[in-house]
Amino acid sequence: MTPKAGYSGGCQCGAVRYQAATELGYPHLCHCRMCQKASGNYALPLASAKRADFELTRGEPSWFHSSDLVRRGFCGTCGTPLFYDIPGTDFINVTLGSLDEPMAVQPVAQSNLAAKMPWFHALDVLPVEPDGDEAERTEAIRSSNHQHPDYDTQTWPQEKSHD
Amino acid sequence: MSVTYTGGCQCGAVRFRVRGELKDASICHCRMCQKAFGAYYAPLVSTRGAELVWTRGERKTFRSSNFVERGFCGDCGTPLTYEAPDGVAVAAGAFDDPSLLPPVVQYGTEAKIGFVDRLHQLPGHRTEEDAEQAPFVLELVSYQHPDHDTATWPPETDK
Repeated sequence: MTPKAGYSGGCQCGAVRYQAATELGYPHLCHCRMCQKASGNYALPLASAKRADFELTRGEPSWFHSSDLVRRGFCGTCGTPLFYDIPGTDFINVTLGSLDEPMAVQPVAQSNLAAKMPWFHALDVLPVEPDGDEAERTEAIRSSNHQHPDYDTQTWPQEKSHD
Repeated sequence: MSVTYTGGCQCGAVRFRVRGELKDASICHCRMCQKAFGAYYAPLVSTRGAELVWTRGERKTFRSSNFVERGFCGDCGTPLTYEAPDGVAVAAGAFDDPSLLPPVVQYGTEAKIGFVDRLHQLPGHRTEEDAEQAPFVLELVSYQHPDHDTATWPPETDK
């Protein structure tokens, strides 16, 4: 499972997988209302890969043209937001949570602060739900997890061999 | 008095309405929520005790485990729901005004990414400042559905 140089990632179900051979540029958190709604989130973390270094290694994303200039790629099977693409440029942006190792790429900036949630800074200090009566469900989910693993696999759909 | 919230996906093919009080908003850092949302966590608003109605279109679902289905728009991909046996939670960013629903608790912190707590301290830019690097932002015409219900869909194309 040793990853190749660069970064790999994909959607939750594994129907769409990608690789970026070299470094990811300008990792940042976009707070604009279009990124918020596209990703159902408060903000969307993105970084750019050189198109020449970028490769879809499994499947094809679905696309929604959120404007004439920009299209957003997602998995048509499970919905994971994957790409922010400006056709005609020499780069493509990937969503940083779809990376197999999201902790490996740290954002350096935030953009479009006008739409930033007024309480965004307060997320840091939210109380943490203690482990407890959820343990049984957590185990049931773990043992029946249909998420693609965080590395490339030989076959898809995966064989049903849960541990 | 009953409160009403509306929301939907980016393109507007799927729209919903929630009637009732929404008190249980959270962010979940678990790796399944991260990957499903393509982000560092999933912000979810529980609709337990309230009435959730789909007012336009139908969501697609992916069964992410034997207990849970995740709903999304098949046309534009917006993540919409986390559907568990004990209730449905809706993606906070899909509400027309997510600022009304600040989270009160976080889950799945064993998978929390170390730098997430400091994201709000990163240097920031307003959209106008991006125009130097990316002048197109000044002429951008959005095809995103507006943040309110509309009478017709697909939208008329009188750009």
